[in-house]
Amino acid sequence: MKDIREDIAWAKINVDVMKSLENPRKLYWVILFFALMAFGFGVGCEIYQYQTGMGVENVNNPQVWGLYIATFIFWIGMSHSGTLLSAILHLMHADWRKPIYRFAEAMTTFSLMTAGLFVMVHIGRLWQFYYSLPYPNDRGIWPNFQSPLLWDAMAIFTYLSSSVLFLFVGMIPDLAIARDTMAAGWRKKLYTLLALGWEGTDRQWRNFRVTYLTIACFLIPLAVSVHSIVASDFAMSQQPGWHVTSFPPYFVAGALYSGCAAIITLFIILRYVFRFEAYMTKPILKKIVRLTFAIAMVWTYLNAVEFASVWYSHDEVSKDVLIQKMTGTYAPFWWGMIFCGSVVPLVFAFKRFQTNIPVLFAVSLLLNLGMWLERWMIVAPTFSHGYYPWTWDHEQWPSLVAWGLVFASFGWFTLLFMIFCKVFPSVSMYEVKEMVYHRTLHLKKSETAEQGAH
Amino acid sequence: MSVSNLLENWSQVRHEHPVNDKPHDPYKWAMAIDLDACTGCNACSVACYAENNIPVVGKERFQHGQQMHWLRVERYWEEDSREFPDQGFQFLPMMCQQCEAAPCETVCPVAATNHTADGLNSQIYNRCIGSRYCSANCPFKVRYFNWYDYPTDEMVWPAEMTQQMNPDVSVRSKGVMEKCTFCVQRLSAAKVVAKGEGRIVREGEVQTACQQSCPTGAISFGNLVNPESRVHKQWAAQQVVLDADKQAKDEKEEGPGLRGYRILEELRAYPSVMYLERVRESAV
Amino acid sequence: MSKRHLLALYGNFEEAEAVVRELRSATIQGFDVNDDMIVKSPIEHPQVEAFLGDKPVYVQWFTLFGALMGGLFGFFLISGAQANFYMQMKGGKPIVPFPPNFVLTYEMFILGGVFITILGFLICAGLPAKRSPLYSAKVSVDNIAILVKAEEAAISVLKAIFTKHKALEIQEEAGK
Repeated sequence: MKDIREDIAWAKINVDVMKSLENPRKLYWVILFFALMAFGFGVGCEIYQYQTGMGVENVNNPQVWGLYIATFIFWIGMSHSGTLLSAILHLMHADWRKPIYRFAEAMTTFSLMTAGLFVMVHIGRLWQFYYSLPYPNDRGIWPNFQSPLLWDAMAIFTYLSSSVLFLFVGMIPDLAIARDTMAAGWRKKLYTLLALGWEGTDRQWRNFRVTYLTIACFLIPLAVSVHSIVASDFAMSQQPGWHVTSFPPYFVAGALYSGCAAIITLFIILRYVFRFEAYMTKPILKKIVRLTFAIAMVWTYLNAVEFASVWYSHDEVSKDVLIQKMTGTYAPFWWGMIFCGSVVPLVFAFKRFQTNIPVLFAVSLLLNLGMWLERWMIVAPTFSHGYYPWTWDHEQWPSLVAWGLVFASFGWFTLLFMIFCKVFPSVSMYEVKEMVYHRTLHLKKSETAEQGAH
Repeated sequence: MSVSNLLENWSQVRHEHPVNDKPHDPYKWAMAIDLDACTGCNACSVACYAENNIPVVGKERFQHGQQMHWLRVERYWEEDSREFPDQGFQFLPMMCQQCEAAPCETVCPVAATNHTADGLNSQIYNRCIGSRYCSANCPFKVRYFNWYDYPTDEMVWPAEMTQQMNPDVSVRSKGVMEKCTFCVQRLSAAKVVAKGEGRIVREGEVQTACQQSCPTGAISFGNLVNPESRVHKQWAAQQVVLDADKQAKDEKEEGPGLRGYRILEELRAYPSVMYLERVRESAV
Repeated sequence: MSKRHLLALYGNFEEAEAVVRELRSATIQGFDVNDDMIVKSPIEHPQVEAFLGDKPVYVQWFTLFGALMGGLFGFFLISGAQANFYMQMKGGKPIVPFPPNFVLTYEMFILGGVFITILGFLICAGLPAKRSPLYSAKVSVDNIAILVKAEEAAISVLKAIFTKHKALEIQEEAGK
């Protein structure tokens, strides 16, 4: 099985991808409609919460954090696999990343934007949000640089802006193609503007190569640091169940895991909606599935390490929290996380499921459900069963408003992502050409070698 | 400018607190609560509500756990085979422990909660953006968040009730974290008076609302660095040292029979409230 | 002396490479192969760089500068701000604590590196660029183009070389 057919004409690549900007299948509009509805619902919830106060989230005094923080981590986590595909696999010269990294990177960008929204949704005085920005002012007041939340803000800002730039730089040659092929109109103007006058000259390509490589090198440690810092929000605190040394790598593994699962979901959707069957091929899907399986096992291992280290330590309070997770109010969700995160991915071990699209679609959604539960199970149980017994509260349950906003975030993400895929080429045309070209060269070489052998 | 400032004051900016300590001077506000004297009457809590304009949230929100009592009186009892085990329960008044190394301070993204020169853990309402990280990291869970806009809520403060509010204390709008301040408004007023007379605040000159209202005198409050103060004497008598995460007296094989302890001391938050263990038998 | 532009399109890299080699070896009056020739290709092609010979790339120096400046700026901005803002005393921690500042310095290091690298890319690649006088949209499909600039006398020689190597199309700038 080959990742892509080598006899695919370059002109056809242009035509196929450009077609995705014009006429997707009807399903596209259905998805867009539902995404818009979900987002609209969330806007309503947020307006209500903004007007009334955070109490409508149904959080209370010991349980000050709830679904918003859990979902924030979920979205930050999802963003990491875009970087994995675009940067790490780029350094490793894995050609199969080429048709799929563009949408993965868009996923990174938009899930970061969604995560950013949850910061806004979470804080009690949104209208004073700018206090957390380090802007010079004549009162000499600065934010607290010791707070992991501020590191978060800095890390997310760096990650988001770098990812957007990386996405944009990688797209310049494609924007030039779009500029050259698009009929006159607002889109042509947009592409002309964004292509920056790219003509594929040797000077442009030379600098492009170095730039792309350099930013890829920066993005890898950046992505690792971003989720390590999110893990620090918890690991740097004193609370039982949070103050865990292995949290940063655990979070990074979880991030890559949910991101890969999301890539599978989006891969399947885009492949159908934009008729990308020739580019997003099953052998590529198989490779992602195997990658996801490996990461799932890493995550399972780190999970086990965390539990074991709590279990064998003599930290009674942390142990109580762990027991509480397994047997208390949250037990169904905790076991759900274990099932979705560690058992369901075993499906990927079977060859016949590795390219079975309906199965993969369902499994990838389940994996992400598991990963969302994981984040919730990190945040909530510690509040319900912390150091101070008087404040234990196992009854708290998020309100409809909170669930609504979580639900709406999926709408917001889908909306941004689908609009992006319709406006910008979601398969990298020039890199697919490179992939085809490399394959042709490879075939030629092996043919010559064969002839030599005869 | 800022870099030169950094270099000039290097030793000062690298000073840690309360480790490598320069002791608080001239004030370090602290408390001692004698649980043996506490009858659980809740007068302290009520006084706190009155003094600090704390909203009374109502039954429904209380059930949601959204109550605002800065000072809560906790009840503990042994689950033994008695018919009513909660008979004769013990009380523990719990408020912000004004930790010397407060876990809440370091995590606030906007520096709305800080350590003051007189040893308090301050909360700046105007600066707070409501990330609630401080409460998440508080081991005692003594921080309370304004889940709703209480000052404008007719159920909380009906129109005529606003007349009885304390003018020295601001009311907090929605989205702001608040907690026990050791009645900082009283402390400030006393300090201003004392400063005008060129002296420091004398023992007994200032009382917190809870201390004032306690019928059994279980709560003592004062300046820990003033050797004349009752609080200083109590801490010294109980051999409880402020900047220690393990008290030397507890290391001894034969305990000296002292009652003083601090809650969750091993977390190295260095709380400023010392409790005196109850020795009375239970009421039953 | 005014120069005119000439653009030749080729269907594959081998032909284009042969043309470039010939142009490099030939000495043509009024045409300097290093300054007057631009190769345009639809994909990033390592061979193009190989047959054009060593041309330096300076982007990495921007990266180095940006990353170092970002890191230094980050550290001193943060430490300086903390030292100025004396009220921000945090129980148990010095006013200027190193571990958090290193975390933020690390982020600023990357931020500076990425931003200045992009700036360096735009400067070094000459983007946003004015469109060159001759361009064919086929370059964005699959053709490789060689754009040359030469004095009137050399034009015909160049054209002959292009034709010899089976150019698919030759565009010529109108004479002035």
